[in-house]
Amino acid sequence: MSDTNTTSRKTPLYDEHKAAGAKVIEFGGWLMPVSYTSVLAEHKSVREKCGIFDVSHMGEVRVKGPGAENFMQHITMNDAAKLKPGQGQYSALLNEAGGMIDDLIVYRLGQDEYFICVNAANRSKDFDWISKQAESFNVTTTNESDQWAQLAVQGPNSLLAMRAVVDPSHRHALEELPYTNVMRAKVSGRDCMVARTGYTGEHGYEIYLPADHAVTLWKSLLATAPQTGIAPVGLGARDTLRLEACYLLYGNDMNDQTTPLEAGVAWAVKLNKPGFIGKDSLVKQKAGGQKQKIVAFKMREDGIPRHGMTIYWRGEPAGFVTSGSVLPTVGGAGGMAMVSSSVQENDELEVDVRGKRKLATVVKRPLYSAKTK
Amino acid sequence: MNIPNELKYTKDHEWISLPDAKIGVTAYAVEQLGDIVHIELPEVGKELKQGASFGTIESTKTVSDLYMPVSGKVTAVNQAVLKSPESLQSDPYKNGWLIQVASAADAHDLMSAKDYEAFVTEH
Repeated sequence: MSDTNTTSRKTPLYDEHKAAGAKVIEFGGWLMPVSYTSVLAEHKSVREKCGIFDVSHMGEVRVKGPGAENFMQHITMNDAAKLKPGQGQYSALLNEAGGMIDDLIVYRLGQDEYFICVNAANRSKDFDWISKQAESFNVTTTNESDQWAQLAVQGPNSLLAMRAVVDPSHRHALEELPYTNVMRAKVSGRDCMVARTGYTGEHGYEIYLPADHAVTLWKSLLATAPQTGIAPVGLGARDTLRLEACYLLYGNDMNDQTTPLEAGVAWAVKLNKPGFIGKDSLVKQKAGGQKQKIVAFKMREDGIPRHGMTIYWRGEPAGFVTSGSVLPTVGGAGGMAMVSSSVQENDELEVDVRGKRKLATVVKRPLYSAKTK
Repeated sequence: MNIPNELKYTKDHEWISLPDAKIGVTAYAVEQLGDIVHIELPEVGKELKQGASFGTIESTKTVSDLYMPVSGKVTAVNQAVLKSPESLQSDPYKNGWLIQVASAADAHDLMSAKDYEAFVTEH
């Protein structure tokens, strides 16, 4: 718990977190709240009511210019040309070998303008890569990460909370906003972007707002607590929530050695679009070279799986746990594992929990699915 | 901070009661761990040396080893706390005891409540 580490950066809400009694940890170069009350209580508040997360450590990159569409098609794996202004999609930057440099959300803001949300720990790496690729395209790329704060409002009451802070003139559009879409809106008096996205498996929103507006909006949203039950949620519950929803965590579930096919996000890879970086390698892998894949599993015996633990299948080592935890809403414990491609749903696995092999079963992803998202 | 006077303490935040030699972890440790979700303890009859690991406490995020405050044979294991680890959170010194050993004879070199409080404040 090194909240004195001076090399780590603070978000504009750092003082709010400390004042709220948060335990603060270093994450991806940032001092972030891991929990305010308890991970399990915060997890529950998102599943049943509403949670607010400071995700200002995430990075934002703008791509603009006549070549924007061709450029985005070249550097990302999903079909960025298919997006209409206001629409967003899950995607990734790949290297030539098909490995994931980072996973992203790509929003199209206009015919010639895209906005990319990247992982905190990868901000510089991604921007350097994107800028380098941009040299032969008619686009400008801007790292806007320091200008933006980002709040996530997630849970069944998230619309209720958002309605309270969004300007009345934007309320109808907010209510109609489709999943993964983004809109410009006045929020607590300032121009922001509101996306219907999230990392929890619940109905929710992610707000991109000017950094100097973060404290005002944070307080306005928390002030809706009597109506919405909104509570601040730290990285601890963010991790258990995303794991139940089987969303990948960069650096844990995959890295630049992992292809999106292995990581289980083939649905976001569009091999039928014109060439993009990494495509040839993915085509080859798809033709028969895929040796491993991500599966979800649930423990059938006591013991909690953790990142890095060895997985046994038919008595032999067959991979490792990429993410594991208790599963507060689903019940019991479980997670995701990178295992041999031969492993199938309903197969029995054993997880080496500190020297003891504990039984687990491969299950369908996701581990948890909300009734409406 | 809740540090009962009648117990003895280790630098790894275990406590041991005298003379009945029940062993548990301190309120301070429990607070640091956060939500406790799983506990593993030895079988009755196991002989363990002072400083040896006698089990693990797992919170939502981390696993911590438990270390023997004294050497001895395990004479009882708190089955209730294994079934509901959250009881350790609410009551670490009474219902949250973990194991009992045959003797607390070599507990005299452990920290007093006062020393433990100073130790925790420093760290």
